Amino acid sequence: MKLELLLSGQLFFSALVTGAVYVLIGLGLNLVFGTMRLLNIAHGEMAMIGAYLAYWLFALWGVSPLVSMLLAAAVTAAFGAAVYKGIFRGLLASNMTLVRLEANSLLVFLGIAIILQNAAILIFTGSPRAYQYMDTMLHVGGVALTQNRLIVLLVAAVIGVLITLFLRFNIYGLAINAFIQNRQAAMMMGVNVDKIQLMAFCVGFGSAGLAGALLSMLEQVSPYMGFSFTIIAFVMVILGGLGNVFGGMVAGLLLGILETYGVAFTSPSFQLVLIYGVFVLVLVFRPEGLASMGRRL
Amino acid sequence: MGLVAALFAAMAFVPALGNEYLRSVALSLAMWIALTESWLLLSGLTGYLSLGHAVFYGIGAYVGVLLWGHVPLWLAVIIGGAVGGASALLVGFPVLRVRGPYFVMLTFGLAELVKYLVTWIEAGLGQYGRIVVGPPSLNTLFYFMLALAIAATCLTHVVSRSRVGYALRAIRENEEAAETAGVPVVYFKVFAFVASAIIPSMAGVVMMMRTTFFEPAAAFDPVVSFTIITMAMIGGRDNASGPLVGAIFLAIVSELLWANWPQVYMIVLGALLVSFVLFARDGLVGLLLQKRKASAT
Amino acid sequence: MRKLWLAALSLAVVTADASSQSAAPVKVGFSIARTGIFAAGTQTSLNSYELWAERVNAGGGLDVKGTKRPVQLVWHDDQSNASKAAQIYEKLITSDKVDLLIGPWGSPASLAIAGVVERHQFPTVVGAASSVKLREIKAGNIFFTSMVFPDKLAQTLADILKANGYKSAAVLTVQVPYTLEIKSFLVPNLKKAGIDVKVDEGYPPMVRDMTALLLRVKEAAPDAVIVLSFPADTAIYMNQARETGINAPFQFNLIGPTREWFPKQFGAHANGMVTIGSWHPNKAEWPKAKPFYDAYTKKFNEKPDYSDAILGYMACEVLEEAVRIAGLDKNALRKTLASATFDTLTGPVKFQGVENVATPTGLSQYQNGQLEIVWPPNIATAKLIRKGAAKP
Repeated sequence: MKLELLLSGQLFFSALVTGAVYVLIGLGLNLVFGTMRLLNIAHGEMAMIGAYLAYWLFALWGVSPLVSMLLAAAVTAAFGAAVYKGIFRGLLASNMTLVRLEANSLLVFLGIAIILQNAAILIFTGSPRAYQYMDTMLHVGGVALTQNRLIVLLVAAVIGVLITLFLRFNIYGLAINAFIQNRQAAMMMGVNVDKIQLMAFCVGFGSAGLAGALLSMLEQVSPYMGFSFTIIAFVMVILGGLGNVFGGMVAGLLLGILETYGVAFTSPSFQLVLIYGVFVLVLVFRPEGLASMGRRL
Repeated sequence: MGLVAALFAAMAFVPALGNEYLRSVALSLAMWIALTESWLLLSGLTGYLSLGHAVFYGIGAYVGVLLWGHVPLWLAVIIGGAVGGASALLVGFPVLRVRGPYFVMLTFGLAELVKYLVTWIEAGLGQYGRIVVGPPSLNTLFYFMLALAIAATCLTHVVSRSRVGYALRAIRENEEAAETAGVPVVYFKVFAFVASAIIPSMAGVVMMMRTTFFEPAAAFDPVVSFTIITMAMIGGRDNASGPLVGAIFLAIVSELLWANWPQVYMIVLGALLVSFVLFARDGLVGLLLQKRKASAT
Repeated sequence: MRKLWLAALSLAVVTADASSQSAAPVKVGFSIARTGIFAAGTQTSLNSYELWAERVNAGGGLDVKGTKRPVQLVWHDDQSNASKAAQIYEKLITSDKVDLLIGPWGSPASLAIAGVVERHQFPTVVGAASSVKLREIKAGNIFFTSMVFPDKLAQTLADILKANGYKSAAVLTVQVPYTLEIKSFLVPNLKKAGIDVKVDEGYPPMVRDMTALLLRVKEAAPDAVIVLSFPADTAIYMNQARETGINAPFQFNLIGPTREWFPKQFGAHANGMVTIGSWHPNKAEWPKAKPFYDAYTKKFNEKPDYSDAILGYMACEVLEEAVRIAGLDKNALRKTLASATFDTLTGPVKFQGVENVATPTGLSQYQNGQLEIVWPPNIATAKLIRKGAAKP
């Protein structure tokens, strides 16, 4: 591929947007996974719920996804709270071995994901839906930017910054961070375990709903969309390091860049082999994630 | 165990009934038993949950479709099993160093990686789906699969009761302690991994003759992995009779439901999964054993 | 007196009731993927089957050689699993004892059930399935209505490009069997027609970003961009091609543009896109087309997709006609299916071996928000136009 194409702003913009999408999707998973080591396979389904909300609000009343994404976040956060209080509070408090807990949580979330996906099929039918919103082009310095893609990039950046600040400066954020770093120590320091866990659930689930609502501008909404989101989120969490929110964001961006530019060096059909190959290698050789060398946020 | 033998004997008589539909149901049942029993050998005993067992099934299917027409069925089955086992051996050592949720994701990632590798290879070869022309009769396939189911059950049963089985369970309960106590943990884990790979690969070969159309996305379908885990959870994952109970139970539920209300079936499945993980961790077999204990006292 | 009157009344009621219910229903069986990887694409086929059954029953029932009997659909979810489909057809034949069979959705499942229906000598008509491998199995009991068999489609694309004087093309293919099959015929056909294939690339099914690929295409500046895509990647192409600035006058997406969400998502940008499709609701030669369109839109609150929904309905119409002529006897049905010409909502259907040779392989193009048939010329409703430059 010609060098000028490789260095083109167009490709760079695309890579950034793809990365931003990944960051949005994976953000919340790190919180749940990091604080409680729970494998939330239903993460993608939260995004699906958010996406459907945004779609229907737009289709019926013309509500902009930028507005409905906040509503979506609230709805899925509430769902998260319900799931936590109903199921996981008890599970976490029991003195199960950590390995067992992780395994069991995986299966519970799997069950929840199956229920949600099929409920969606029953309610909405399996046909994909889409709408047209903000798809005019802006031209900046020779690069064409579709408005909705630009918005996604900007929102992802804002949210990324907000969450980073939250974890650094807010009292609850610091507590969550402490929890992620060393659960036992945090508990001994008097951190309110229940509150933190609930918060992690709410923020984690809520951010997925928000991501889904936002992404409904770019992608088709169907009951089956959740699964691929979940996979991406997990890949990101692994690459960035368990519980390392900032690392996860970096990983998301890198993943977007890898996907977009990787095509230039290998054939496009090799793309997924490349990504999963990296995923597997990271898990085998450095399960703590690529960003684990040294500082954590 | 007597019940188990009776069950297999009953299944062996199904072809004599002459009802083709029942025969195909029995074939399906035998397949799930074979797959789940093999899975148990690894994940039930060692606690290393494999979420990618479909990879061995897919490998078997690929071997099957490539060899068909060139070698007789029994040879293809053996070669399929060998390839599956060899693959497990190849990646076993690095893969089994990874623990807990990382292992779960790794197995899933591996399955997807192999799927995309095969997709890439097939596309590169200009292939767009291979078919099996003139497959063996349903009866032949059924008996092969029944043999595999019996073999898998016996293998799991024998290993589970043997010293190897106790070592594997020790690994599940506390791997560090087992290691300190001098158990060659790595070799046992790899053994379980390889042993759990062979029969699913063979099952893949047999089922390929039934499907007659090889397509990577369908052969390496993650739903297979999820179904195996669900059956094991519902049936009971510490006992060789668990998968049998799980497979039959699901077969009955599915006969009643998926035929006409597929989404309801899936929702029930999800709900069952959640309930069993939360309330009946040792599955139906566990419940039955508890009842027997309670009535005995 | 009153007793007699009551007796007469009840007799009248009973006989009236009996005459409308004396005919046992005709059971029409099939399997379809309602869960699993294909589920997203099968809804429209199922809709068509249901619509057909409703229409037939509203008209008094299925005409079985003169006697009208109500139609009852008997179907099961094959979970996108070909071996499950085979299992279901065995069940339909031996246990549910259906009278008629419609095929499953998709080529893999159709291949899997071909053996089953052949063994039972049970003629089956299939809607949405089209792989050349289906010819290889040389079955005598399965009939495919589809007109988009890969080799025919490949030839059609080469023909339309040549006829319009386009000299170069880029071919992008998603890596699933159907599209790979089409590509294997398309590239040689294009070359034979003297068209320079400047880009020939494949991409994986779950791709999220095609920018690098599209930049390469833009650089090559071909006359035609042919994307053998499935719905998800069609959407990605549509968005990213505009952003990248692809201005080729001929742009083709295989599957997606006929679906009802396509114009909703892309609005005016949908115009000019070419896709498969040889059906139009307003063609005077096809009187059954408009009633189908109206009924479908009314019942499901969305427009039918111009490919799968049509194929599904065609299969039903073929069966309906065949049963009217031959009744329910399998041998008579098979003979009729193999030899007769059927009139459907898309014109005549006739089978040669397993394939429908009467319906032309057509291409349609979005013009002014409507799908128009642009090829072949003898059924076209509009002329092919150049895709306008991407407007901001």
